[in-house]
Amino acid sequence: MSSIRWLSPSRLLPGINRAASRRVRLWARRRQGVDGPVTRLEPRRIYILPTGVGLIFALMTFAMLLGSMNYNNNLSFVLTFMLIGVGFVAMHQCQRNLVALEVSFAGVEPVFAGQSAQFRIAVANRSKSPRHRIRLYIDDAHSDTKDLEPGESRIFVLPVRTEQRGRITLERFGLRTLFPFELFRAWAWLHMYPRGIVYPHPAEHVPPPPASQTALGHRQHDARGEEDFAGLRKFHVGDSPRNVAWKAYARNDQLLSKQFAGADMSSQWFDFDTVAGDDLEQRLAILTRWVIDADRTQEDYGLRLPGQSFPPAHGEAHRRQCLEALALFGLENPDG
Amino acid sequence: MARARGTDGSLLASLPWTLLALAFALLPHVPYLPVWITAALLACAIWRYSIEVRRKPVPPALLRAALALACFMGVLYTYNTISGVGPGSALLAIMAALKLLETRQRRDQFVLLFIAIFLVMSSLLREQYLWSLPYLVLGVILIMTAWLRTAADDAEPVRRSLGTSSRLVLYAAPLALAMWVFFPRIATPFWAVPIDTGTAVSGLSSTISPGDISALSKSDAVAFRVNFEGAVPEPRARYWRGLVLHRFDGRTWSGISEPRISSTALKNIEALGEPVRYRVTMEPTRQHWVFALDIPYEWNLESTFLGPQHQLTRVQPIDQRIAYEAVSHADYRIDAEPYSFRRGAYLEFPEGRNPRTATLARSMRAAARSDAAFVRAVLTKFNEEEYHYTLEPPPLGSNPVDRFLFETRRGFCEHYASAFALMMRAAGIPARIVLGYQGGELNPVGDYMIVRQADAHAWTEVWLPGAGWRRVDPTAAVAPERVDAGRTGAMFDGSGAAWGLGAPSMLLHNLVLAWDAANAKWNEWILGYGPENQERFMNWLGMDDPDWRQMLLTLIVVVTGLTVLISAALLLRYRPPRRDRAAILYDKFIRKSGLTPATGETPQLFAGRVRRESALPASAVDSITDTYLDVRYGPPDPALLQRLEAAVTSL
Repeated sequence: MSSIRWLSPSRLLPGINRAASRRVRLWARRRQGVDGPVTRLEPRRIYILPTGVGLIFALMTFAMLLGSMNYNNNLSFVLTFMLIGVGFVAMHQCQRNLVALEVSFAGVEPVFAGQSAQFRIAVANRSKSPRHRIRLYIDDAHSDTKDLEPGESRIFVLPVRTEQRGRITLERFGLRTLFPFELFRAWAWLHMYPRGIVYPHPAEHVPPPPASQTALGHRQHDARGEEDFAGLRKFHVGDSPRNVAWKAYARNDQLLSKQFAGADMSSQWFDFDTVAGDDLEQRLAILTRWVIDADRTQEDYGLRLPGQSFPPAHGEAHRRQCLEALALFGLENPDG
Repeated sequence: MARARGTDGSLLASLPWTLLALAFALLPHVPYLPVWITAALLACAIWRYSIEVRRKPVPPALLRAALALACFMGVLYTYNTISGVGPGSALLAIMAALKLLETRQRRDQFVLLFIAIFLVMSSLLREQYLWSLPYLVLGVILIMTAWLRTAADDAEPVRRSLGTSSRLVLYAAPLALAMWVFFPRIATPFWAVPIDTGTAVSGLSSTISPGDISALSKSDAVAFRVNFEGAVPEPRARYWRGLVLHRFDGRTWSGISEPRISSTALKNIEALGEPVRYRVTMEPTRQHWVFALDIPYEWNLESTFLGPQHQLTRVQPIDQRIAYEAVSHADYRIDAEPYSFRRGAYLEFPEGRNPRTATLARSMRAAARSDAAFVRAVLTKFNEEEYHYTLEPPPLGSNPVDRFLFETRRGFCEHYASAFALMMRAAGIPARIVLGYQGGELNPVGDYMIVRQADAHAWTEVWLPGAGWRRVDPTAAVAPERVDAGRTGAMFDGSGAAWGLGAPSMLLHNLVLAWDAANAKWNEWILGYGPENQERFMNWLGMDDPDWRQMLLTLIVVVTGLTVLISAALLLRYRPPRRDRAAILYDKFIRKSGLTPATGETPQLFAGRVRRESALPASAVDSITDTYLDVRYGPPDPALLQRLEAAVTSL
């Protein structure tokens, strides 16, 4: 890294800096309150400090001022004052670059524990001037740096590390800019508490699911072919449109899928109680692995947890339902 | 250290601009820098750019260190020092070249841009012309544009970066102006660092050797400018006294090598007649001589004194433009008492040199009744015999005065002054040569006088009993036009043609005069904005004799006020669009209904719900909804807006 960054105050005094910045953040949180789902950045909540480059710039202009005074050189006075003026203007420009931006949470896809959750934050520029070089950040990560044209709204992705299953809440994130000359850093803290879900980390080496748990107690192996219509079933996401009973849909507005005796109808039950082991997390991890594998092979599967039961089905929605149940199972306050 | 890893091309969007800013900052230094430094920077720039284009690694650290050492030794070898503007800017250029070679990240370019700023600043220390102001403004814009591009999106068009930085510099301009006007100027420097510009400044030489290569300056460069208070003296009275030469070795005249100050010189001046008051703005000469009309009597320049030969001398050499006011007396008597100077020093005549001159002088003195008559006789000889004034005289040999007087008979002021002074000395009359300027052109634009290097002149002073040192200008006897019309006048009235002077176009000359007037104002008001001018300006603003504290306070107040204005202008630029009146009124209606529209619920659906669930009159709800939709989506109509307003308020 260039030498300039090493001169920034936070590098010189890491310990003090950490404690101080925590207090400042708490103060800001108390001062600002909890932010709504769409938050406009008012000028009073935008903070600004000079950067390391800014301090060097100030030092340089001071040296130039001394030089100009010493030589009584009026043109170098002009140059010096011009640069000081540019510094002043840059400070205001830097702060204004964030003013009146609208920030809102745009969702986060569930991830497995250990993966990073990609929090999507939308930032909209409703003003008539472009905004430059804006970046979102949390303690240990940051998004890409983007420009916002007038009227434009863009999604910034914040990668958040996850460690355990359950709900994950983004307590606080920041929005910052160094524009125009990196002399100043303007930022705003947001407390919107956007939430996402973290599935259990799937176990690596697991026994195959017990065969006795097959639906109806047997597997269909008679090779009567797909032509052998076996009945109708509620449509699941992922069912082939070829199998949709369009006539039935025309009659009563309900999407049904045709089931054929020749198709592989095996539908397994994954039961929490039958998974060996005492460790709750380990058992959930095994169930998670089974769900993922079953989903990958497009088989029907059901999940039975103490107090909850999801009858055999397949498709995206079913998978999500099951994994969510595994993620939140047994947590004290799953919604808190 | 660095692994040999190729560059990633991430500098391609910003590096050309950084290089352009550096080149622009270096431009004014190029004539003063050794060629190898400019070449080194250029080579490094091309090298570094091609590295970036071809994704090659930057040169290894060892090579860079070797180059740095070599360049530093080169600078030391060239200048023998590292302080001063010349070596300083050379070092800056070298630093830029070497920093380029180790620039890997975009942020490293900040250092290059800082160097560019210092290069611009040092060029301003070296020279301050009228165009230096636009130059520095353009320089700042270029540097700031490059600065923006070090962080900008790769796709950002150049025009936009240029626009942004120009806009920011434009905002900064009033701030800079206010600081420039109000920042208190101090008269004396903190530490006296001479500005060694490393170039010869044209001016008078401190010796003359008539007959060597023609040394008369033909330069149109300005020596000094004069504003007279009251009437301008006649051309034949415009003798600007500089230094005095009294030693002659048969070939070369020289004076006191070190400036000396005399405590009695001023006392020995007897001023007669009316004083002439004027103000001189003198260009730097790096010599000690201060020019003033013959003979200076009062002046307001610090540490400046009269020397023993009545030459005005400043203790420090004049390495910056200076301005001073002076009072002179055209009629005077100096050193009228014979014991007030060492007579022998002005009678020196090297034995065996120029023998014919000595013989001629003695015989002419014998024929004349008095010293004064002898002086007249010599002047008459110059005037009536075949002597010519020319700016291109033939060279003279080892007895230059003999050869000039008896053989070539053509020359300019130095030849005539030298011959005349020597003849006086041969006849026992103390004589010396004065170097300075004669004449000066009045510039009708701006109403002041320009004295140029080409107006440089040499004349003599002879000491006569009872009269003291009298000025005698033998050139006036040969070419009266030179003294009566001045050099520029002679150039235009045709008499200068005989001396080898071509007449330039009158139109061009008038343009030159207009340009010079602009420069004179620039020098006085911008470059010369020091403590006195500032005080005058503050008084004009209505501040009565402010001290530096009051001025700093004013500075802070003005700058703060301007900053608030700029901040407001920026806020205006970045404010979100105001909600239109109709939307505000409709919000009011929603509040009065006590219901909240669901996401996606249109105003019409919402109206239905309000009719059903709230106590508001159905007709009012319908009319408000219809009017609101008409205002928002129909053609603009102020009457509709008024109706909406009336309907909402009457609820």
